[in-house]
Amino acid sequence: MATMLNPMETNELTNHFVVIHPLDDLPEEKVDTESLGPMAMTTSVRISLVSLRAYLILMMLLVFYHVMNMAGLFGHRG
Amino acid sequence: MSNRAIGAPASGLETEVMPVRGRVVKSKWTRDLLTFLMVVGPGLIVMVADNDAGAVSTYSQAGAQYGTHLLWVVLLLLPITYFIQEMVVRLGIATGKGHAAMIYQRFGKWWGLFSLVDLELVNFLTLVTEFAAIDLALNKMGVDPRFGVPLAAAALILIAVTGSYRRWERTVVLLCLLDLVWFALAYGLRPPMGQIVSGSLAPSMPAGGLTPELMFLVIAIVGTTIAPWQLFFQQSCIADKRLRFSDVKWARLDTFLGACVTITAAGCMMIAGNASSMHGFAFTDPAQMAVDIGSFTNGFFKNAILLLMINAAVLGTTAISLSSAWAYGEVRGWPHSLQLPVRKAPGFYVVYAVCVAAAAGLVLIPRAPLQLIILGVQVLAGVMLPSAIIFLQLLLNDKELLGEYSNKPWNNWVNWTIIIVLFALSLILAAQVAAPNLFPA
Repeated sequence: MATMLNPMETNELTNHFVVIHPLDDLPEEKVDTESLGPMAMTTSVRISLVSLRAYLILMMLLVFYHVMNMAGLFGHRG
Repeated sequence: MSNRAIGAPASGLETEVMPVRGRVVKSKWTRDLLTFLMVVGPGLIVMVADNDAGAVSTYSQAGAQYGTHLLWVVLLLLPITYFIQEMVVRLGIATGKGHAAMIYQRFGKWWGLFSLVDLELVNFLTLVTEFAAIDLALNKMGVDPRFGVPLAAAALILIAVTGSYRRWERTVVLLCLLDLVWFALAYGLRPPMGQIVSGSLAPSMPAGGLTPELMFLVIAIVGTTIAPWQLFFQQSCIADKRLRFSDVKWARLDTFLGACVTITAAGCMMIAGNASSMHGFAFTDPAQMAVDIGSFTNGFFKNAILLLMINAAVLGTTAISLSSAWAYGEVRGWPHSLQLPVRKAPGFYVVYAVCVAAAAGLVLIPRAPLQLIILGVQVLAGVMLPSAIIFLQLLLNDKELLGEYSNKPWNNWVNWTIIIVLFALSLILAAQVAAPNLFPA
């Protein structure tokens, strides 16, 4: 889980602040995504994604057919 | 923002936590301003680069055909584009990884590869349209594209291969600031202020009513303002810049500022199109529009619009090519950072250079099927956008991944509404382009 550093890590008494460019700062600990593995999904989300996959495959085939048709591969131009 | 307190110089411990290259400031106001200036970049670039050559064409066509009537659509897109990119900000900062890597890791190989292939394909086709616009603008300026297009491609490759993220970012932010010239141009064209205010704030139907042509122009405006590559680009850019958790609010401000600049510039492009139309010129393309505007103003307006068109294409090209290179590097596990020299990330830079060079080369081929390519861009982007945003939404609700940075209920209400509208619009656009007979004019 993500944790947040205190953005106001400053010393109010001295009233001096150091601003560091992100590329000059020490590397920050991020979420370890590789250890998390695939996302846990509910059945409805899983079904929705399968439907989305079917929709995308269908649309890609439709686009492919249309482009081939326009390019004259099926004998006439669309 | 990583602001560390420094105490008395004698304090060894506090001296140790002082960064080597930090800037010491005395007031909170200066600290905040300096921090913002250090963080600004990914949000501004992604938004301004979104006003690429295709966008210049779409917005100026909308202004030429419908005057100020569609300004409200553009204004409505400001919060929408901000909300979508703000999610990317949180995801990028929390994970420190790009969007393609996240999809691959959290949704598996099929979705990872599908997203990558679709992104690379749409991006490449879009790059061809960017160079086609450069070719068109150079022609109108009297410059031989056979000389100008390769020169632009070489410059685009050179700005990325310096091995310094900061050098690339500074160059690109400077180009982004040139977009502000649109404001001066729109003002110089003496726009009808009353109509602009009413067109922006009070939606009204243009003369002729709701025609298929109007509907598809509105869809094209939405499609050109919110593009799939933006999600991939900004998240990878944030990861490459190594923004920290404490930078979230500044990265949000960067994104909001970028959204304001890009939406206002889009409005200015519409105003330019409207001015051309008011003088009796029919819209064909933005380069011709520049020539038409030059005929009733002066040469400055013509050349400025043509140069801005080239600038838009250059910005679009560097951002889109980088989104391709970052995504490919993330999925292949190659080193992929602008901070690395070419010898340490050869694959990343080769993908970037090949994208740029191949798109530029294709444009120079006589009788290249540009119309087919533009069609491909519209359909594939239309197909890809809703699915890309759905993955973004699922990732942002992944509490295991984002913890306190995951979406709040109100975020979800807003985002699902946006997704449903975009899904419907992209479905209509994709169906219309793929099967034009479904929507007779």
